[in-house]
Amino acid sequence: MDESCARKFQNILANMANIGIHNAAKGMSAMVGENLSVTEPTVTAVPFHKIPTLLGGPEIEAVGIYLRVEGSIPGQIMMVIPYPKALELADLIMGEPPGTTTQLGAMERSALAELGNLTGSFFLNAIADQAGLPARPSPPAVIVDMVGAIMDIIIATTGFLCEEVLMVQAKFLRDGRETQADFWLIPDQHTIETIANQIEEDNAG
Amino acid sequence: MQDSLAVGLGEYKISRNITDVLVAYGLGSCVGIGMYDPQLRLAGLLHAVLPSSPNGIADKSAKYVTSGIEILLGEMIKAGAIPSRLIVRMAGGANMLTAPGFSNTFNIGTRNVEAAHEMLQRLRLKLVSEEVGGTIGRTVRFYVLDGRMTIRTVGNQEREI
Repeated sequence: MDESCARKFQNILANMANIGIHNAAKGMSAMVGENLSVTEPTVTAVPFHKIPTLLGGPEIEAVGIYLRVEGSIPGQIMMVIPYPKALELADLIMGEPPGTTTQLGAMERSALAELGNLTGSFFLNAIADQAGLPARPSPPAVIVDMVGAIMDIIIATTGFLCEEVLMVQAKFLRDGRETQADFWLIPDQHTIETIANQIEEDNAG
Repeated sequence: MQDSLAVGLGEYKISRNITDVLVAYGLGSCVGIGMYDPQLRLAGLLHAVLPSSPNGIADKSAKYVTSGIEILLGEMIKAGAIPSRLIVRMAGGANMLTAPGFSNTFNIGTRNVEAAHEMLQRLRLKLVSEEVGGTIGRTVRFYVLDGRMTIRTVGNQEREI
């Protein structure tokens, strides 16, 4: 293969991501009941082995919100948030002053799961709409553990064949508070072709 | 002064330098398999990702538990180790996704551990200690000085297995 699977997907996805992330912000503001704005997202292909470093090391404690995508464009979406950031996010979602949440109990975990669910689904819907292909997310799973262990989920399920993943990075802003969210998109092998073919057909039509 | 040598995903490292500590950080479903020749003070650590190479792909690499164990053993022997003398320790192989609907599909941790047990038995290597399974990530340290293996989990101190 002359082009990595993530890179192919990156080219296809670059335009879609913008709409997707704005849709995701809509999802989040529906949840917190206020308007959230979002900065221009960036889409980068990142080698797997660099991910832990980007997040501060493989041993850093983080929260992973994991969705499996089913339908015509199967794949996986993982939001990975360093633990202190996850506490900030929990405050933001639950409308608490910054610093209120000091640990993630059942309530905070389910709030974060819901956040992942909403943002992931809205993001996914935008992509599915544009590609004209149905996709639906699984219920979210929340994992609180070392970054390396969280990333193992993706590495194991992709068979370690796709060596890069796509990182969509966006900043969510609300009342002068901002929180960065990273989405890792990991399409199944055939998904990239499916989307590429569909777009070619659309362009030809 | 101790030197930590990181063993990344799908890699292995061996060392005879008694100040070295071989470390596999944040193992989830991956397994860390350490081999130690006490007479030589020679240690090797494998950080394997998947049980074995998928059908039709003849990839003999350290990514896979089965080929990884063979490769590490080969390198240990090349460095002078005697297989019957080797002690083996293992940690990792957790199942990170425990939400309903996921666990059965993705029990890679369990499969990694099973693959390791089979391979070690086939090669007649002595597995003297292990801490595997569960749903938690682990950092594994393997000390060249004495062949000790320790694990660390989130919020806990390093402890020997």
